[in-house]
Amino acid sequence: MVTFDTSIASKFRRSSGDRRDLAMRVIWISALLLAVMIVASLTVGASGTSLLAALMDWASGLDIGLRERVILFDIRAPRTLMGVLVGASLAVSGAVMQGLFRNPLADPGLVGVSAGAGLGAILAIVLGGLLPPAIAAFTGIYTVPMAAFLGGWLTTMLLYRVSTNRGRTSVAVMLLAGIAVGALSGALSGVLVYMADDAQLRDLTFWGLGSLAGATWTKFAVAAPLIALSLAATPFLAKGLNALTLGEATAQHLGIRVQLMKNVAILTVAGATGAAVAVSGGIGFVGIVIPHLLRLAIGPDHRYLLPASALLGGSLLLFSDMISRTIIAPAELPIGIVTATIGGPFFLYILLRNRGVLDI
Amino acid sequence: MVNQWKFTILGGLSSFLVGIAVFATVAQAEEVPSRVLSIGGSVTEIIYALGEQDRLIARDTTSSFPAEAEALPDVGYMRALSPEGILSVDPQLIIAEAGSGPQETIAVMEQAQIPFITVPDGYDGAAVGAKIRAVADALGVSERGETLATSIDAQLDALDTQSDASKRVLFILSMQGGRILASGANTAADGIITLSGGINAVTDFEGYKPLTDEAVTAANPDVIVMMDRDGDHATADNDLWGNPAISTTNAGQTQNIVRIDGLLLLGFGPRTPEAVATLHDALYGDL
Amino acid sequence: MIDAQKISVTLSGAPILNEVSFRAQAGQLTAVVGPNGSGKTTLLKAATGELPYSGVIDLDGRDIQDYSTADLAARRAVLPQAAALAFPFTVLEVVRLGLLSGLHAEDDDLPSRVLAHVGLAGFEGRFYHALSGGEQQRCQLARVLVQVWQPVRSGRSSWLFLDEPVSALDIGYQLEVMQIARDFVDKGGSVVAVMHDLNLTSMFADSVALLAGGRLLVQGDPTTVLTDQHLSAAYNCNVRVNVAPEQIGQVPFILPHMASLG
Repeated sequence: MVTFDTSIASKFRRSSGDRRDLAMRVIWISALLLAVMIVASLTVGASGTSLLAALMDWASGLDIGLRERVILFDIRAPRTLMGVLVGASLAVSGAVMQGLFRNPLADPGLVGVSAGAGLGAILAIVLGGLLPPAIAAFTGIYTVPMAAFLGGWLTTMLLYRVSTNRGRTSVAVMLLAGIAVGALSGALSGVLVYMADDAQLRDLTFWGLGSLAGATWTKFAVAAPLIALSLAATPFLAKGLNALTLGEATAQHLGIRVQLMKNVAILTVAGATGAAVAVSGGIGFVGIVIPHLLRLAIGPDHRYLLPASALLGGSLLLFSDMISRTIIAPAELPIGIVTATIGGPFFLYILLRNRGVLDI
Repeated sequence: MVNQWKFTILGGLSSFLVGIAVFATVAQAEEVPSRVLSIGGSVTEIIYALGEQDRLIARDTTSSFPAEAEALPDVGYMRALSPEGILSVDPQLIIAEAGSGPQETIAVMEQAQIPFITVPDGYDGAAVGAKIRAVADALGVSERGETLATSIDAQLDALDTQSDASKRVLFILSMQGGRILASGANTAADGIITLSGGINAVTDFEGYKPLTDEAVTAANPDVIVMMDRDGDHATADNDLWGNPAISTTNAGQTQNIVRIDGLLLLGFGPRTPEAVATLHDALYGDL
Repeated sequence: MIDAQKISVTLSGAPILNEVSFRAQAGQLTAVVGPNGSGKTTLLKAATGELPYSGVIDLDGRDIQDYSTADLAARRAVLPQAAALAFPFTVLEVVRLGLLSGLHAEDDDLPSRVLAHVGLAGFEGRFYHALSGGEQQRCQLARVLVQVWQPVRSGRSSWLFLDEPVSALDIGYQLEVMQIARDFVDKGGSVVAVMHDLNLTSMFADSVALLAGGRLLVQGDPTTVLTDQHLSAAYNCNVRVNVAPEQIGQVPFILPHMASLG
């Protein structure tokens, strides 16, 4: 994504103010980049097993070892697909939230989705042992992701109820209530952390840093439909989010059913973020940095911003994951550390170069 | 959106391929595993004590003793193991301390048909022998394990630790920002203190928890035990004795601190008799 | 035609509008005037569906409550008083937002033509937030014009609601923007404008509604409404209405003053 030099964008905008062609070009480049990242993610890893070599052996009828099969199809394949989905949903959720709140700094973390999901996960880690055996046996190792999703979902619904008065949702109230709910879940999490034993504390720490290491086909099957459904809803939000840039009243005057659009946007974000946080833990930064970068390159038109965010978000997460699992191989660095380490300085650099454009 | 459908199809296809592949797997011949991955500091120590270290191909981050072990590849922290990281060192057998994971990684090892053996945990004299026997059984050297376990049990029995003057001992895991994180009941620290003839000064809770100043005063330990980390002990001592709560205790007034290597003290491995003797001497040596 | 009957609006417990009835004829420029706090903007917001009200507002013979959001958007555009933009759109992109109502399948030149019409030719690639206040106002005017351009061309009923469209402009652009509104009426559209400047009102309006204290004082053509008596009562100060010299069209022009002229 480094190649979308902002000078390209400024050339376009000086000439005509029409960035649609540029946006389409960026979308195609992002799609290509994602394809490259997927192949790389299937090929790169601590074990040195190569997808291409294994596939060729397999195709020519040679027996590829059990170890190679497990690495390619049970470890890397679900991990790669999960990375694409999680990256896409984090980036798109960020972009939708920013559009909805008309604030380029908004993030699912702000409206309590992440806080609620985190509280759910902590509850499951610390108190999971108290579940009735029948339920525990049923949920098994998916107790934590399921609790995280439920937590995110319930928090969003609560906030939504608090901020909706006579059918009208106040975004400002929701933002403030989100901060309150965030503080409350922080406090509850603190109580649980105090109750946690040594082993649980370490689980909490690692969950908080996020990882795709636990990706399995079962987890993928749990998360994918929800994320796919949420992402599929976003194209219908694009026009409305564009109009919302001018304020809610003006969006309504432009023919947007603002309340309906807000409902769909909030559900989308709760679904996508809840599912993503549930399967991968707390991976920060993607939801802020990707939409920002793209806005600088192709402008804020959500019809292009949302698909481009999905593609580039998936690429960024796959790239970070490849670093996370190779840099200290055979051990693994939590991916949250990687996204922040490569994203932070790059983002600062972009901000420094574009202070004028952003300062509105 | 189109992409996701493609991925789903690709995902389904690859699951299908795996299904065929697993179906076609030929059962492998039984053999003594020669490539062993050790997870957990005490497990690694036991493998060395059994003389089976030549079969070790990798270890986890907590396996820091003996020093030769640190030359082995490190597959990461025992509770956050990555499946591909483990498979990349190509182990035939994995022996792990209780609490290793996560579960997803263990599940993948089952799929890859690599035995993942978890040895039981415990914080008393019998636990050490049980651990040694479990590791030896896994390695197929049960007899040598029995010998080692019996010897360790005998060493522990031989130590006369049950002194009349039982001292109250406070184990401090860390003092980040002046907050004292102490060991309650059912911890390795509690176990080693008891084995060494001391009394754990705080048993109101389980696990490691921050103590309030008043709780420190009420616990009134005679001795403070900490892990021996590299660093400036003088500064650490100043912080410790400068702490108002600790300064009110017997330990604070006599400035009685014992520092012992963490893995030795809390590992519950073959060096536990040494740890018991060391701590006991430190507690009662002047009597 | 807009026919508003007994419109009352209460905001946070305070009555803002009290049973105001007023009419705006299609094909006219109707100005709503009155002192600060008289309820001008509130009346406009009720008429555009932004504020809940009691009473009945008919637009072209049908209660505005019965229109769908899209139908309303196809029939009327609203220029708000101030429009801050949340994200860095270019001028062209802002104007293109006027096409959202979906009527203009692929009239890609329209935004540029309308920009030229409001005096912003060549501004397409500039960032909206880097424009001056007056340029932003004209850019927004271009956006609302784009929204109602096609209905007017095809002879359908089409309304522009303007909330103080010239407040941020210098006298040159004030005339220009009012002239654009006048052009729109001449092409068959209808305009309702909340106005501060009584002289511009007298020059451009076909009908004037004078509000004071949340009530309608009087509505009619400019010469009947803009009188010493009405304005002095509404604005609570001495006002002398004169007649402009013949070459500017003999419209009333208004000067407030401190002295009592008896």
